Amino acid sequence: MLNKIAELINKNVSGANAVVNVATDAKCDSSITVEASKILPVVSFLRGNTEMPFNSLHVISGVDYVDYMEVCYMMTHYDLTDPREFILKVKVTDRVNPKLDSIVQVYAAANFQEREVYDMFGITFTNHPDHRRILCPDDWEGFPLRKDYVTQKMYNGMEVYPDSKMNFEDREYIVRQNMIKQAQKASASTESEG
Amino acid sequence: MNTTVHQTGSVKDYFSSLYKGVTSTAKGMWITFKYVWAVKPVSIEYPEVREVLPERARMRLFNDVQNCISCTQCAMACPVDCIYIASEKMPEGSEIKKTSNGQPIRLLLTQFTIDTALCCYCGLCTTVCPTECLTHSHDYEFSQYTIDSMKYDYLAPDVISWRDRIVK
Amino acid sequence: MQTRWDIGEPEAPTINSETEQLKSELLTLNMGPQHPATHGVLRIEIWTDSEIVAHAIPHLGYLHRCMEKHAENLDYRGIIPFVDRLDYLAAMNMEWTYAMTVEKMLGTEVPRRAELLRIITGELQRIASHLMAFGTYALDLGAFTPFLYAFEEREKILRLFEEVSGSRLLYNYIWIGGVWNDWTNEQIERASQFCDTMEEEAKKYHELVSTNKIFIERTANVGVMSLQDCFDYGASGPVLRGSGFKWDLRKNIPYSLYSEFDFDVPVGTGEVGQVGDCWNRYIVRMKEVVESIKIIRQAIAKLEPGPVMGKVPKIIKLPKGEVYVRAECPRGELAFHLVSEEGGKKPYRLKVKSPCFTHVSMLPHIAPGQMIADFVASVGSIDIVLGEVDR
Repeated sequence: MLNKIAELINKNVSGANAVVNVATDAKCDSSITVEASKILPVVSFLRGNTEMPFNSLHVISGVDYVDYMEVCYMMTHYDLTDPREFILKVKVTDRVNPKLDSIVQVYAAANFQEREVYDMFGITFTNHPDHRRILCPDDWEGFPLRKDYVTQKMYNGMEVYPDSKMNFEDREYIVRQNMIKQAQKASASTESEG
Repeated sequence: MNTTVHQTGSVKDYFSSLYKGVTSTAKGMWITFKYVWAVKPVSIEYPEVREVLPERARMRLFNDVQNCISCTQCAMACPVDCIYIASEKMPEGSEIKKTSNGQPIRLLLTQFTIDTALCCYCGLCTTVCPTECLTHSHDYEFSQYTIDSMKYDYLAPDVISWRDRIVK
Repeated sequence: MQTRWDIGEPEAPTINSETEQLKSELLTLNMGPQHPATHGVLRIEIWTDSEIVAHAIPHLGYLHRCMEKHAENLDYRGIIPFVDRLDYLAAMNMEWTYAMTVEKMLGTEVPRRAELLRIITGELQRIASHLMAFGTYALDLGAFTPFLYAFEEREKILRLFEEVSGSRLLYNYIWIGGVWNDWTNEQIERASQFCDTMEEEAKKYHELVSTNKIFIERTANVGVMSLQDCFDYGASGPVLRGSGFKWDLRKNIPYSLYSEFDFDVPVGTGEVGQVGDCWNRYIVRMKEVVESIKIIRQAIAKLEPGPVMGKVPKIIKLPKGEVYVRAECPRGELAFHLVSEEGGKKPYRLKVKSPCFTHVSMLPHIAPGQMIADFVASVGSIDIVLGEVDR
């Protein structure tokens, strides 16, 4: 099925460059990758075509692979006789100022989902009607689900992860015990060498 | 626009909807009214009457330190990292004790603390325990005034004294 | 197609010429974060013209715990307690879907008895969740008594779950590869007894609430979601079925052992109002309770003694790749998108597709033009659980 969809996309959307990623493990799902700049025409083609339409968007999920970020669109077709679904992917290589076209005008479901991807990964969706953070507060710094995310120290004059609420005593005790153990081991090994 | 504006139709409609409203409400009222004497109350008066908890109920954790072999599997299984274990080598010459199911205790347990305020009562730590010394007891009333006192050191004598009550 | 979320000053809806003359500045109201009708900590900013809602903007995130980030630092077994806390009213179904996701990647065979026990617990949980939806929905609309009846029945299910799993709300019962504990014959007997009483109770609820004239007046023709809207917004579950589309994953793309079961998929038919209104979404849930009872009875008849845990390695390591697994939960389709690295002990990424998050995004669309009291009815009818919306 995926090969057919990729063929259809390549035939009808110029420059989409759809490639099927066959899963290396048989138990996993395969997907289709398209050019990031062509996501809007590809999605509107997928919704509007008559041969293999997809009438609903399930979810938009972002994945951070450190070198690049990937945005996965889970396309579904609600049909009683021929239900189908597949994962459509785009790669976003720019980490500093990542940008994608919004697909809200095609699927209304993308409104909240794109806001969530922006909130968690910092990918800006151009032409989004209501482009704000959704789960984190508006003035939160950083994008939590990126792999290089570091929690901010202070937020609105409040300390994030205050020391008084962390159980340092017991942790320190264990660390100290481990250090003693290592020292003992080291001394034992030098003794045996000597 | 999906506002619900009551459609005022003919007089007949008005009275029929009025009739429906009264009868359907009366039907519901009758169901409730039957509860006055026909149905016994199912609620219990808590502090005086207490429910008997099922055998598998997961309440406050208890570690029987005499059976613990310091394997740290519970600390690794814990999803919220609320178990702190430290152990050291047995002093030389001391006899090796055995747990109740026959496993030798090779390490000296120096700390076993559970931060009960963090515990999520998922039961993952008790299932991995090889000697079944870490168990969920049936105590469910253990509120404290400070969050520090929710931290139980299972080597402390006052906590060890729970053992007589919990371990049968 | 036009976008519907222009964030600028919204125009007041013109109802008729009379209100046109009275039109003045819009009033901003905050419904929530602490409001009994929002079922948790949801804040909805409502712009009203007199009593008519012109604009509703949901503000999410009051219960945000970033469970997806937590999951990246936990091993696969340790995630189950966190998954429980997503939809705390249907924790069994959450665990089940998560377990299916990992099992699909791991290639584990689940024993037949475990699958059947999962179906029994999953359907009992569905009944419990729908009872909660029924009770709180009646509470939203001003009827307190149905809530107590619903809780009386729900308590029986919770008690049964407590005996089986050890916990009342957050079970950690369905594990990767099977279920934790086996059910005793006495417990199975009690489940089947519960089915008998529940069938009678369901009839009582219909007399008490569903056919009540006041309830029908409050819910029929209110908050209509057309089928096209549902597809547009990716709605699922009772919301989609209430709009008249006979779609149920258990029937259309059967997972687990559901293909062996004989049950019906109830859809909204618009008996008292029009298809897709609040009453239809409500009645779909109530009919689903009866269907779940059917499934439980069949599953109990199929039960045979056997193991309840499949062969799972002690440390779960998954191959490189990704899976996307969907399952039908009481509130709609839940799905997990799991990405793993080669030999990863922890997920590289775990994305939760929560049905309520999708349904909340429909609120700004259906709100304009409603009375505030009707808007409360609309919010209640999609049966939101904020733990799942905010994750």
